[in-house]
Amino acid sequence: MKTGTVFEVKEFAVFDGPSVRQTVFLKGCPLRCNWCHNPEGLETQPQLMVSGGCDHCGNCKRVCTHESCIHCGACVGVCPRGLRKIVGKRMTSEELVNLLNVNSEYYTAYGGGVTFTGGEPMMQGEFLKEVLDGLPDIHKAIETSAYTDSSTFKEITGRTDYIMVDIKHFDGKVHKRYTGVDNKMILDNIESLFDGNIPFVVRIPLIPGVNDTRENYENIAKFLSKATALQRVELMPYHKTAGAKYGMIGKAYRPMFDIDRPVLVSQGIFRDYGIRSEVL
Amino acid sequence: MTERIKRLKEYFIIEKEHHKIRKSRSDPYELARKFAASSETDLERAYQRLIYVLDKENPVLFPDERIAFVRTVSTVPEIYTEEEMDDLKAGHWIHELGDVSNINVDYTKLLHTGFAEKRRELLEMAAKHQVENNAEKADYNRIQVSILDHISGLAEKYRELAVLQGNESVAESLSQVPEQAPHTFLEALQMFRILHYSMWCGRNYHNTIGRFDQYMYPYLKRDMDAGLLDEENALELLEEFFLTFNRDSDLYPGIQQGDNGQSIVLGGLNPDGTDSYNLLSELCLKASLELKLIDPKINLRIHKGTPLSTYTLGSGLTKQGLGFPQYSNDDIVIPGLMDLGYSKEDACNYAVAACWEFIIPGRAMDIPNIGALSYIEALEKALHEKLLCSETYEEFLSAVKGNIRELAKSLCESIRGIYIFPAPFLSLMMEGSTEQAKDISLGSIYNNFGFHGTGLSTAVDSIASIKKYIYEEKKYTKKELLEALDRNFENRPEMLNLFRYHSPKMGNNLEFVDEIAADLLQEFSETLKGMKNERGGIFRAGTGTAMYYIWHSKDVDATPDGRLKGEGLAANYSPGLFGRLKGPVSIVRSFSRPDLKKNINGGPLTLELHDTVFRTQESTEKVAILVKSFMDLGGHQLQLNAVNREKMLDAQKNPENYSNLIVRVWGWSGYFIELDKEYQDHIIQRMELME
Repeated sequence: MKTGTVFEVKEFAVFDGPSVRQTVFLKGCPLRCNWCHNPEGLETQPQLMVSGGCDHCGNCKRVCTHESCIHCGACVGVCPRGLRKIVGKRMTSEELVNLLNVNSEYYTAYGGGVTFTGGEPMMQGEFLKEVLDGLPDIHKAIETSAYTDSSTFKEITGRTDYIMVDIKHFDGKVHKRYTGVDNKMILDNIESLFDGNIPFVVRIPLIPGVNDTRENYENIAKFLSKATALQRVELMPYHKTAGAKYGMIGKAYRPMFDIDRPVLVSQGIFRDYGIRSEVL
Repeated sequence: MTERIKRLKEYFIIEKEHHKIRKSRSDPYELARKFAASSETDLERAYQRLIYVLDKENPVLFPDERIAFVRTVSTVPEIYTEEEMDDLKAGHWIHELGDVSNINVDYTKLLHTGFAEKRRELLEMAAKHQVENNAEKADYNRIQVSILDHISGLAEKYRELAVLQGNESVAESLSQVPEQAPHTFLEALQMFRILHYSMWCGRNYHNTIGRFDQYMYPYLKRDMDAGLLDEENALELLEEFFLTFNRDSDLYPGIQQGDNGQSIVLGGLNPDGTDSYNLLSELCLKASLELKLIDPKINLRIHKGTPLSTYTLGSGLTKQGLGFPQYSNDDIVIPGLMDLGYSKEDACNYAVAACWEFIIPGRAMDIPNIGALSYIEALEKALHEKLLCSETYEEFLSAVKGNIRELAKSLCESIRGIYIFPAPFLSLMMEGSTEQAKDISLGSIYNNFGFHGTGLSTAVDSIASIKKYIYEEKKYTKKELLEALDRNFENRPEMLNLFRYHSPKMGNNLEFVDEIAADLLQEFSETLKGMKNERGGIFRAGTGTAMYYIWHSKDVDATPDGRLKGEGLAANYSPGLFGRLKGPVSIVRSFSRPDLKKNINGGPLTLELHDTVFRTQESTEKVAILVKSFMDLGGHQLQLNAVNREKMLDAQKNPENYSNLIVRVWGWSGYFIELDKEYQDHIIQRMELME
């Protein structure tokens, strides 16, 4: 049985697929998007996360026996304000299935199900496959960057009922500059969904000055115009709060774009290509 | 919204232009001193006060108005001097201000007859009482006649002014009502306005509106069938009518602005199992959605057969951030009320009092908020007196339950010598009061008293912690726990951390915890079973808290759920304030687990969702699913809040009270208090944009 690392199971998600859903966040991501809003999902290992509101009582320092943090969690249980936690929990696929089954009937009764996101859920492909197979009667959705080899992509998406996939930029060079990886594999994987029988949506995080150009919209729309399984495009305008959690895991948020610039939202281009779009 | 309604809203609500015509405040004891000097009877005082205010009123009409009556008298005088009140309080149980309040009168008793017909009935009865040598009863009916005369007098002044100002609509309505029964929807709304207005003039308060969509629907239907109204202009009239509830409300008594009890109830099951939800119910939801005003407060009665589309309309309203509709579940409330002895027909006709208590229109002088049980008092006493000697967890639990029993009994016994000021005008709209010439303040068909219960989740979480950490895992000794509580967890940060943040909580869908809640709730309701109050009524156990949750938390030591000394309790039937819960699904599953039919005085599960969850039409429909699911699972009552800017500002100041406040940010959700201030400010700023 495979073991994976989960950093959150969220109840009552309303923007993660059809009807109401529980969303599983799997830890670890091969991309380093400059605007990532879930930085605690990037590393594969569990790590310490500290929220704001410290009144410097010193309890955490008193119990710490390490020169630099090894994410042992010794300080978590002594904070009187509950500000510390280890983000990321190792679980077997069976444990996760059981956890999801506590409420799975509830979601099923209302036409919903479970959504896997991350991080990049495909990074824990073998674990995820076992979990998906363990939930035979549940509506399963995945939210992915599609940055994985085609066989993993096929094997995982083939086990789901609904796919949400990002196109962060159509231009490979720009894509690499802002996410750390090329987009060829991503676009190929997305293309493989075009004529499939699994409904999918494409999500575009709108980053000011990075990808909110007419040219980029046009390229994406043209690319997607042949996709019969595409449900719609979801446009997600950047918000400044993206950087909120960096400090909590001891990192700095360094956007390489002007966060104050309003984004250009253009649904018209998609309409021209016969593609439904929605702003989330 | 039509241009006319926009203008009226601007005039009355935004600019408050009508405040300019108000008379200045006067000495509230002016009448009381005269009454005291001449030792007037209480009935005479109540009557004199009402007609004093009515006579002091003068008509004012505003441009565009079709539904008249606005208050110009700022002060409704007292009927007793301060000294007299002290004496009364020494010898009696005086509920709140002493006036009849928080009941739901049956407006049809006057709407259906008109004043002229009612006067005739009253004079006949007076004559009959006179023949029977019952002068007191005859006088009572004559006083009621006189009240109607004074209201009619004011209405006539309004009519004359309308004629003078060329306001044909108001002039025409007032040539029919209140003297004759209304024929049209507009006349019925005008008549209701006059009745409701007059109730406030007699200092009766928390004057609930009740099942408006039921008793007003026939007028709407008649007009629509006759082609006098279509949906659009019916909605316009309704919106103007809703505006009238917001004109004078700052003059009404209440703990704070908005606490005025103008609650309206829509829909509901009929005794034959059919649904009474009608076009007017729908129009009320639409009017409220368009107006975005705090009054009237909408209650939506739902049941198994209620379509999701009705919940979706409700969620759209919740999105406005006003805190309503509040939902109540007929499948639980009706059988619960029947178990308490209400007839099926009355139970099916239930309305909602000022906050959430279930009351029967026209047939009940219930006081559903007469007191409150403190679950943490029961817990504290057991901790100090019984924990050390309780060998088993069961022994400890039964000590807590024993205390609940004792407290509930002594609450019942403490309510003696209740005295309520007479309300001869309201009595005209209560079953039997007129016929028997018996004032409603003295009782009605139902005379039941209801208790709230505070600190339930705090007590449950505390007991769950004790079960797990003291009795089962033996992680701490009883003495250690008591010492830590006594010292407010000083020097025990690991214990505080564990109990406060990681212990089993009600709201996390843990069966054993929810069963403790069921146990405590049942102990409360079972104790009250069979007890009679001094008016021959029963006592009802509830899940509300009203303001008691603040009063009951003061000076209470730290509790084993990790709550520190003096920290708050949850409001109503809601999770404790500290534990990080898994989410709304676990909450609705937890809180629907106890058999809520048994504690049906009223008191909703209160849930807060960030209003970004309502961002799209699709997501708003999903919120409707959450509400429906609580009801499907057997929940009794639910109040949902789209959390707004004010709340977030408060969350910045008091983050400890908002550990479960979830905000949807940019394609992701997070805990508000975990965000750095800078980011919190961003969201608050965005809320400003949205508002």
